[in-house]
Amino acid sequence: MKKNGIENFKYYVGVNSLKDIASKDDKICVLNILGGESRTVTPISHSYSGGNVFFGTSPGRQGQVLETNIGDIPVYNNVREGLKDGHTFNVGVVYLPPAGVRDGVAELIRVNDDLEKIIIITEKVSAHDAREIRALGQQGKVDIFGANCLGIADAWLQVRYGGALGGDRPAETLHKGSVAIYSNSGNFTTTIANYLKTYGWGTTTSISSGKDVYIHFAAPEFAHALANDARSKAAVMYIEPGGYYEQNLKLTKPVVACVVGRWKANLTRAVGHAGAIGGAGDGAEAKEEWFMNHFGVDDVFTPENPVCSAKGALVVNIAHIPTALTAVMKLNKAEPDFPPEGDLSLKPWFGNNQGLDLPDEFDLPIVDAISPYKEQIASLGKQVGAVFPRQPMKDCSGSSIMDAKTQITRVNGVSILDAAMEPLESNLCLNLVRELNDGNDNALFNLAVASGVNLNGGAALAAADAAREAGNSPNTVIAAACSIYGPNQVDGARNAAETLIELFAHSGIPAGDDESADVSSAKPSKEQLATLVAGSPDAKAEAMLAALKARGGKSLFVKYIRSLDGHPTADAVLAALTTTIAWESLMCKRISKLTVRNLPWHVRLFSLHMGASAPPANHTNDSYCGVPMKEVLQSLTATELAYLSLTGKKPTKEELFPFQVMLGLIISNGVGTISAQGAKGAVAADGPETPERVHINKCMIGYLTHTGFAHGGNGFEGIQFLIERFSGKNMTDAGNAKHGLDLKAMAEEYAVKFGEDKKASKAVGEPIRNIPGVNHPVFKGLVVNKDPREVFIADLLKKRGDYNVFHEFYSALVQALFDTGVTKNVFCVNIDAIIATILLKLLWPRFQSGDFSEKAMESSAFTAFLFGRMAGCAAEIDDHTNRGRNMDTRTPASKCNFVS
Amino acid sequence: MLYGAKLLKKVNFPAATVLGPEASDNEIKDLIEKCGSVFVKPIFKGGVGKKGKSGLIGRALDIKSALAEKERLYFAEHKVGAMSYKAQGVTFEGAVAADYEVYFSITDSTKYRAPTVTLTHHGGVDIEELEPEKVAEAPFDALTGLKAFVIANALSDLGAPKEIVSPLVQNLPKLWDLFHLHGMTTLELNPIRMTVSSPGRLLPVACDFKCGFDRDDHRVDRLGLPEDLFMADDTDFEQEINQLRTYQGQSDVYVINDKGTILSPTFGGGANSLVTEGLGDDAIISSDFGGNPPYEKMHEVMKICLRHWLPQTNVLFVIGGKSNNTDIFETFRAMSDALREYFNENGPSPIFVVIGRGGVNLVRGMGVFKDVLEALGLPYRIFGHDSAMSDVVRYAQTVDKWMKDGGRAQIAAKLGIEEG
Repeated sequence: MKKNGIENFKYYVGVNSLKDIASKDDKICVLNILGGESRTVTPISHSYSGGNVFFGTSPGRQGQVLETNIGDIPVYNNVREGLKDGHTFNVGVVYLPPAGVRDGVAELIRVNDDLEKIIIITEKVSAHDAREIRALGQQGKVDIFGANCLGIADAWLQVRYGGALGGDRPAETLHKGSVAIYSNSGNFTTTIANYLKTYGWGTTTSISSGKDVYIHFAAPEFAHALANDARSKAAVMYIEPGGYYEQNLKLTKPVVACVVGRWKANLTRAVGHAGAIGGAGDGAEAKEEWFMNHFGVDDVFTPENPVCSAKGALVVNIAHIPTALTAVMKLNKAEPDFPPEGDLSLKPWFGNNQGLDLPDEFDLPIVDAISPYKEQIASLGKQVGAVFPRQPMKDCSGSSIMDAKTQITRVNGVSILDAAMEPLESNLCLNLVRELNDGNDNALFNLAVASGVNLNGGAALAAADAAREAGNSPNTVIAAACSIYGPNQVDGARNAAETLIELFAHSGIPAGDDESADVSSAKPSKEQLATLVAGSPDAKAEAMLAALKARGGKSLFVKYIRSLDGHPTADAVLAALTTTIAWESLMCKRISKLTVRNLPWHVRLFSLHMGASAPPANHTNDSYCGVPMKEVLQSLTATELAYLSLTGKKPTKEELFPFQVMLGLIISNGVGTISAQGAKGAVAADGPETPERVHINKCMIGYLTHTGFAHGGNGFEGIQFLIERFSGKNMTDAGNAKHGLDLKAMAEEYAVKFGEDKKASKAVGEPIRNIPGVNHPVFKGLVVNKDPREVFIADLLKKRGDYNVFHEFYSALVQALFDTGVTKNVFCVNIDAIIATILLKLLWPRFQSGDFSEKAMESSAFTAFLFGRMAGCAAEIDDHTNRGRNMDTRTPASKCNFVS
Repeated sequence: MLYGAKLLKKVNFPAATVLGPEASDNEIKDLIEKCGSVFVKPIFKGGVGKKGKSGLIGRALDIKSALAEKERLYFAEHKVGAMSYKAQGVTFEGAVAADYEVYFSITDSTKYRAPTVTLTHHGGVDIEELEPEKVAEAPFDALTGLKAFVIANALSDLGAPKEIVSPLVQNLPKLWDLFHLHGMTTLELNPIRMTVSSPGRLLPVACDFKCGFDRDDHRVDRLGLPEDLFMADDTDFEQEINQLRTYQGQSDVYVINDKGTILSPTFGGGANSLVTEGLGDDAIISSDFGGNPPYEKMHEVMKICLRHWLPQTNVLFVIGGKSNNTDIFETFRAMSDALREYFNENGPSPIFVVIGRGGVNLVRGMGVFKDVLEALGLPYRIFGHDSAMSDVVRYAQTVDKWMKDGGRAQIAAKLGIEEG
């Protein structure tokens, strides 16, 4: 039998005193305990309160637990299961999404007769549900707090229910004292408690009421409970416009009311709290009047005009609350609870004038923060590079994002359309150092890549060749080579990079290309020195250093290792080059130390992609693909090297740009692609929480094995289609607009034939082969459809006077398909078609001359895809290594299906 | 009333015949013939009140005067307080002969903490102008809904004429379904004219309709109303931000002054009230981005803020109290990333950055913001929660004043850009 409510109220109110709102004996059940917010907040509340959460619910997760530092909290599918398992509770905390809150409240009330209190944390509960929740609570004789609140905290009992009052350090804010807090704002509940401390006032019970239209435990109930709480000598009430909750309050103890929101009268709808918008009689001014009448004062309290009575004071600025309370309590002959802690004066913890001569009135000096923040700031100063929070990274990326509307992917903030304007070397760096390169960076990076493409005499080349001979596809060939480049192959360079980071991390040098910077403070230990120099000259290192000079590259770190006592090793030179490139991003904390340490490994694997794609005959002691190694080292770019590896010849300027565009377009297609998923799965399986165990080469293999004839190799379908259309046409130069072909007629002829085949196939129920490169699931439905990526590239190439007969044919084809009635509207030419047309144009002369077989064309198309995609996948690998959790890409058993 | 008549039809509540702005002369003429006269009313989106008092309702007995009123009111402007609303066409509403005019509304009352009807048979005037005893307020149980006896009791309390009681008791409860099942927060019919439907029988006919919708209730979608109806006074900026509205993190914004110079992304409803109050017209927007928004959402919100307002901003003012659950590191990382990306894409902008915050992962968050500001070469001050928030607001205003008095040009010169 439920108790009767308090007689003073016309509606049900069960709580008679603030001291009863929270109790050490209360037992809590949390609905949606494993939801994102509860998972963070509940363990802190549970631990702070000495263990008051007895179980939680989360449908489908029965048997799981929420870990806390004082023991696990069991989780059930529903409340009934928890009760059946022997648990009891009298307080329900609701963390459900808005649409589920009303049903959750009904479940709590209907299933558990012992229920006394419900705290609803959820924001944006609809008014419809709120009015029904109110009725449910009244019917069930349950006190409800919220919604849209942060719950209740009792500093005397050190208990908090629901919500996160006091944040992740409740004890820091909630000091035992004599003042109760009632606040429409959850944030201000904590902020006011903090402010009170500066005048020596501690708290009893703090209530975050929420500020929806319906406030279930509102000001009248608070006033009643305050009167009956012997611990509370006074109260602070933070009140916003809207609602008549504070009218005619029966306050029997001193109160400081802070009413904020006069300006809100200018707004025509609520911003922030849904109920914080006043009508004709419940705006901020009206509420100020209500309180002033009760206090018997005629003005607002300010430090300059301290108007107050023994009953209380009205303030309109929360900063004035402690002063006002102290003044009111003085009239009541009451002293603060403890000596003041800190003050509220302006104290910047960080700042920089950037050399500007600021006026004295706001040129505030930086001051030490209060403890423990002071210590945290000190340790932050020692931190080098970004430190990313770890989280499950399944289907998540901090590197790439695809816009579902435009289908355009952005990698580290750069759209692939912009990436297509950059050379491959810039895109490779962008993916890892999260910034586009400047000219000097490119010079250094090109040398770093060039130093690794020639695999002559190495096991990687043999592995690649053996894989190729076994009939494997290009991805498998490169994967075989990647398996050779394990940690032992690259630890020399990685350790050298780490040494450079350790030596220069706190040097204050912002950019790695500043050769004039003072390096005198960098004193390597014997062990550190051993990672950078050797006793005898290293021929490869010497060649690289000469090449750097020839390229005009600047590197503080190369200069530094050359100044050391000994001969720089090739590993150290590579590390110096990559660390130079990454330094600015590291210092700006855009990337982590780990990324800089792994950068030489990534670069080696980029080189390996190219080197393993060229047959063994193209690797000799002194040349690569017929180009002398000196030239390779001293002048070729990564883009040129990719082209050289793919085709066996150096590109002309005219050939290079479209090739670069094509590579830029395919660096990433978002985290959902199979290739990215392969890369991320490989990282997750190694366990990124121990990042040293993540083997980058194995992760690259993960990506490579997640490409194939359908993903990556399918680019050839477009090429094959075009070869079929243009075979026997005697067209020799795909870049010559005067080709003499009637493309319209060719397109119409094919369209008619395609239409007939389609009809015939349909008649017998057979599938018909779709035309590759035409149509797109997103860019469809208009009279004339365009893939914006195709439009961008077409315009770009057109402006450069770069004609492509295959592209023009595709444009004619989609029109012809419409004109001949095969399609109901003009389909788009999609991005796959663009890639096929660019690549085929580049390879066409060699195909025509018989140099390149159709099979070689297929292999080249696939390999080209890998050259682009390695950039995006390296980014996913690095990102997942930095942010991910062990095995975080697995799919829960509950999401897996059996198919018979 | 144009949409109101359609909505009332869903619950079979009689409404005056209404023609929209597209009505032909013949249709208007027919309506006048049928009803004796028409009321010509301008269409304001967003439920703007007191049109009659402002002379914005015309009555026409013939087509000529109806068209003259149409011309007068089609683009009429209506000033309510500081706000000015422009009409977007007119409606023609058939007059309804009646002896009684009834006022009726349903809303959630914070006095009774229950849905409450307000009712009087002295309708057709401002409800606030009537003596309290002429108006009945009747709260009722949301779970059982608005039942006939609630209306009957209210009319009985008012001493309403007996001939109107039965038709109102029969018809008014229908409105609960329209109100409660379609995401409304308020529904007002004023007047309902009690017209003779058959000898000795009155029928309530709604002649004006107002309602408010709950932005957090998807039941509104059941009505199939056009989207633009809800974009009444939203700016492009507000619409863009509102598209990100989910329960995970707030994204409420309101453009205060599109000529303002302080861009103040604010965290928490309380801080929103305090900052909006403190900054006044210096603020460009009033906002609440609290509620622990995830990185992606905060990043997107900030990008939109910067794209719309950074060029005119003197002070980027990131402000909130001591957060309880909002992760400062995540939100500041998202915001500072967006700022850096903005500079990367659009070049630098001469701003001073002021930040005031406390809470979860505070120092890491401040650190990441600081690093970006250093990299961008921007002057800044970052305050912890031990500085009074209102003083930080005033600090931002002092900086803004200096920026207007030449500081902006100084920063522009430092950044190597030309700035007027």
